[in-house]
Amino acid sequence: MSLAFLVPLFLAGIAGIIVPIVVHLTRRQRKNVVHFPSLMFLQKIPYQEQRRRRIQHWFLLSLRALALVLVAAAFARPFFERSTIGALGSGGPREVVVLVDRSYSMEIGDKMERARQEAERIFRGLGPLDRASLVAFSQGADVAARSTSDLSRLQGAVDTLSVSSAATRFGPALKVAQTILEESNLPTGEVYLLTDFQRNGWTGDEGVRLPAGSRVISVPLGSTDPVDNVMVTDVSLPRQIVSNRERVTPTARIVRRGGDEPLEVTVTLELDGQEIQSRTETLAPNSAAAVTFQPFTLSRPHTRGTVRVPEDDLSTDNTHHFVLSPGNALPVLIVEAARAPSDVSLYLRGALSISDDGRFEVRTRRSGTIRPVDLEGVGAVFLNNVLIDGGSAERLRAFVENGGGVFVALGQGAGWPASAADLLPGTIGQMEDRLQGRGGRLGFLDYEHPIFEVFAGPRSGDFTGARFYRAWRMEPADSAAILARYDDGSVALAELRHGRGRVLAWTSSLDAFWNDLALQPVFLPYVHRLAEYLGGRAEAVPWFVTGQVVDLADPDALETAGLVSSEAAGLAEGLDQVAVLPTGGTVSMPAGDGPRYLPLDEHGFYTVRRPGTDPDRPFVMAVNADLEESDLATIDPEELVLQIEASAATTDGTPGLGDAVELRREDQERRQSVWRWLLIVALALFITETAISNWLSRRRAGATGGAAG
Amino acid sequence: MAVARSTAAGTQFLDPAVLGRIANLELLARTVVDGFLTGLHRSPYLGFSMDFAEHRPYMPGDDIRRIDWRLFARTDRHYIKLFEADTNANFSVLLDLSASMSYGSHSLAKIDYARYLAACLIYFSNKQRDRVGLVTFDHEIVDYVPPSMKHLDTILHRLDQAKAGRPGTLAGPLLKITEMLGRKGILVVISDFYEEPDTVLSAIAPLRARGHDVIVFHVMDPFELDFPFEEASGFEDLETGEQIPVIPGKLRGDYTSLMKTHLDTLQKRFTENQIDYTLLNTGEPLDMALFQYLLARERMSKAR
Repeated sequence: MSLAFLVPLFLAGIAGIIVPIVVHLTRRQRKNVVHFPSLMFLQKIPYQEQRRRRIQHWFLLSLRALALVLVAAAFARPFFERSTIGALGSGGPREVVVLVDRSYSMEIGDKMERARQEAERIFRGLGPLDRASLVAFSQGADVAARSTSDLSRLQGAVDTLSVSSAATRFGPALKVAQTILEESNLPTGEVYLLTDFQRNGWTGDEGVRLPAGSRVISVPLGSTDPVDNVMVTDVSLPRQIVSNRERVTPTARIVRRGGDEPLEVTVTLELDGQEIQSRTETLAPNSAAAVTFQPFTLSRPHTRGTVRVPEDDLSTDNTHHFVLSPGNALPVLIVEAARAPSDVSLYLRGALSISDDGRFEVRTRRSGTIRPVDLEGVGAVFLNNVLIDGGSAERLRAFVENGGGVFVALGQGAGWPASAADLLPGTIGQMEDRLQGRGGRLGFLDYEHPIFEVFAGPRSGDFTGARFYRAWRMEPADSAAILARYDDGSVALAELRHGRGRVLAWTSSLDAFWNDLALQPVFLPYVHRLAEYLGGRAEAVPWFVTGQVVDLADPDALETAGLVSSEAAGLAEGLDQVAVLPTGGTVSMPAGDGPRYLPLDEHGFYTVRRPGTDPDRPFVMAVNADLEESDLATIDPEELVLQIEASAATTDGTPGLGDAVELRREDQERRQSVWRWLLIVALALFITETAISNWLSRRRAGATGGAAG
Repeated sequence: MAVARSTAAGTQFLDPAVLGRIANLELLARTVVDGFLTGLHRSPYLGFSMDFAEHRPYMPGDDIRRIDWRLFARTDRHYIKLFEADTNANFSVLLDLSASMSYGSHSLAKIDYARYLAACLIYFSNKQRDRVGLVTFDHEIVDYVPPSMKHLDTILHRLDQAKAGRPGTLAGPLLKITEMLGRKGILVVISDFYEEPDTVLSAIAPLRARGHDVIVFHVMDPFELDFPFEEASGFEDLETGEQIPVIPGKLRGDYTSLMKTHLDTLQKRFTENQIDYTLLNTGEPLDMALFQYLLARERMSKAR
């Protein structure tokens, strides 16, 4: 065992202490010597400088020098270096990874506190050559301390553990553990899983593959006490226009899991932080209820709403947040032939007019000529069985290229100028009748397209009931997208993009003559989706779920988030932003060309504004917890461990345990911390030297005063 | 404190630096003294009285200032006065050869200045037909030449060989000198007097008490008087070898104050003991020293 130094360069400081003392002692004469006739008068002058400088207090000098030497040595970080340690026992040094669940189910009872205690216990049991990591996980995994033997660092990381608003996912945490173990040069790997083992956190196809020889140790933290949990699972927010005012009638869905007796639950509705209504509902064990509040007028943008039930064992799901803004009607232009019957657009106009929130403002132009003024402020144009001229077609071209959308319904009187044939998604052929049987049907719909995706689910809208008796044959252009086909394969609906807009061609009519689609229940939502898609409008979502990420530089994302005005919210290009988190923290988002991602990890309201401002109605996003976490069903810990270990890499048969591992110099020095003792001794020497020096000065002053007296 | 000053015209060549170039001490003494006297003769200030010896008829070329106009009034003939020096007086120089006398901040060390002064005084006195002698001492008597009319060359030779280098004191050597010098005479003590005034007086006063006429020349270098040093240095005592570190800037005020007090005290004590005291700055010409000597001789002659 030999003395070594981690930073030997600091030992040069000792030379700096010794050199002036040596010079003073060895230098008997000054270089400048004046041979003076007599020192008779100089010696009479009472200054100490006239006396020959001699070291009078060797003891004090020694104390000072020793203290300075100790300080220099402490900075050099000395330690007693042990030689290479031979092969250890069967286990060998371990690379330990402690995974701590911080999903919101861990707030029940004392789960998180027990997790901290278990982590500390594991770290206290580390051997001198072991290294450990602490990984906190919920939906993602965060490495709080990585591969270290510094117990103080590990303890500090444990102290930072806290419950999040996210759900449980074992996959990311186990993959982080896999990476740590793969990068480690220690022979043994151990993964401690500290969690309440919720079944929802494991799907079985996470693709985790721990290194060969790794062990997984489960540390169940679940509670055996039954949990009686009431949660707000959903809030519907239908709107109506009443007396030109937009009114919202919230309905909250309340679910109770667990319990033995009926429970009276008070459900409150808050708007902009103020409680405005409350309802009381009696819930039987393991039951649900819908609570409808009185309508409220929605007049201001970015109105924050919260439906709340009293706190229980799991409080994260006791609140459900939402953000609403008054809607803006989308102007839609219907162009009809001048001599078309007055009811040619009856069904179309009717469908657009029917909406709870007055989302469409319908204008009608009965002419084959479309003027520029007709297109001002319009988001979507429906050409309903009309023959337009070339000039109008070119105006529509400009309209589409600037982001507008055009729907061409090809009926009996429809026509299209040849000069603008490239605008359509295909070449119009002959009319075809489907008179056999009960007419043709729609055989294919592209449910991945925004128009039809809302109809993808069961009981979301049935197009198969519509009968088509006549339609135009269309030969689609190469770049056109076929969104719907008839059952004979011919094109029913095709799309072609131009610039920032699009043109949709419907090869049949929108009346009840060529087909009876207008008489089907699905016609209304179909027309609404057409209009919204053509107008580029995205429906704002009232809330997000924890774990989602929003790009505040993406206008479409902002529209989905319910942003009313980019300029009003200060989200115009080139301005710095700051996001205020529900817990009060902030995230700075400086202006730049790239995306400005904001991860939504906390449950509550995120406010986005410019730094240093406090707008009256800032842009707000509501974030709710993933309610999957409220399902407290568990998986057997041993079953999970078996699945994880089963997927671990296999060994090549070569025993790799028992190799000698040399403790790193830094680890040895950190464990010994000799520098602390050196500094303590140096401090004691300085204090002692100061006390002795002061005592000597007082004694000398007293003697001089006595002599002078 | 008397300060040597060059006042008479024709005495520029008495600049000590110039004198240093004259290797032959006799020549130096003759040059100085004769030049001094010539200058005195040209000066309107005659002021020095000498004993009148006799008259002789005026011949063309004589100094007309020597014409005795009273005798002309009586006789209507021109006669000049012939003066006589103090004949047969014993004149001895007591020269300090202690190591401190070897100090010099410029081209002329104190010992050299003292030697030149001693040579000049002895030459002058010899010219006045005094019996001249020399005693050199440091902590003991180094050399003794009894007063005699014939010892000029010997004395000048001994002065030429005199070296300062050993520690010195006044009391011991001067006591012996007091015993050695039987016949009363004129004693010129040349030293830098680096002892307490009481010690100095106790060494020199017995000479006066014995009836000698004592003239003291206190030889100091300009640096000893002004202490113009700037750089912090170690100051080493030339006699004891002791060394102390000194920051001159901090001490100058106190040093010059102590020096002044010392000089004033010596002046006062010597005066009280009827001993002529003159402070000589080796940076100043020698003529002032001679001037002071002659003044002292005149006072002595009047006192008889």
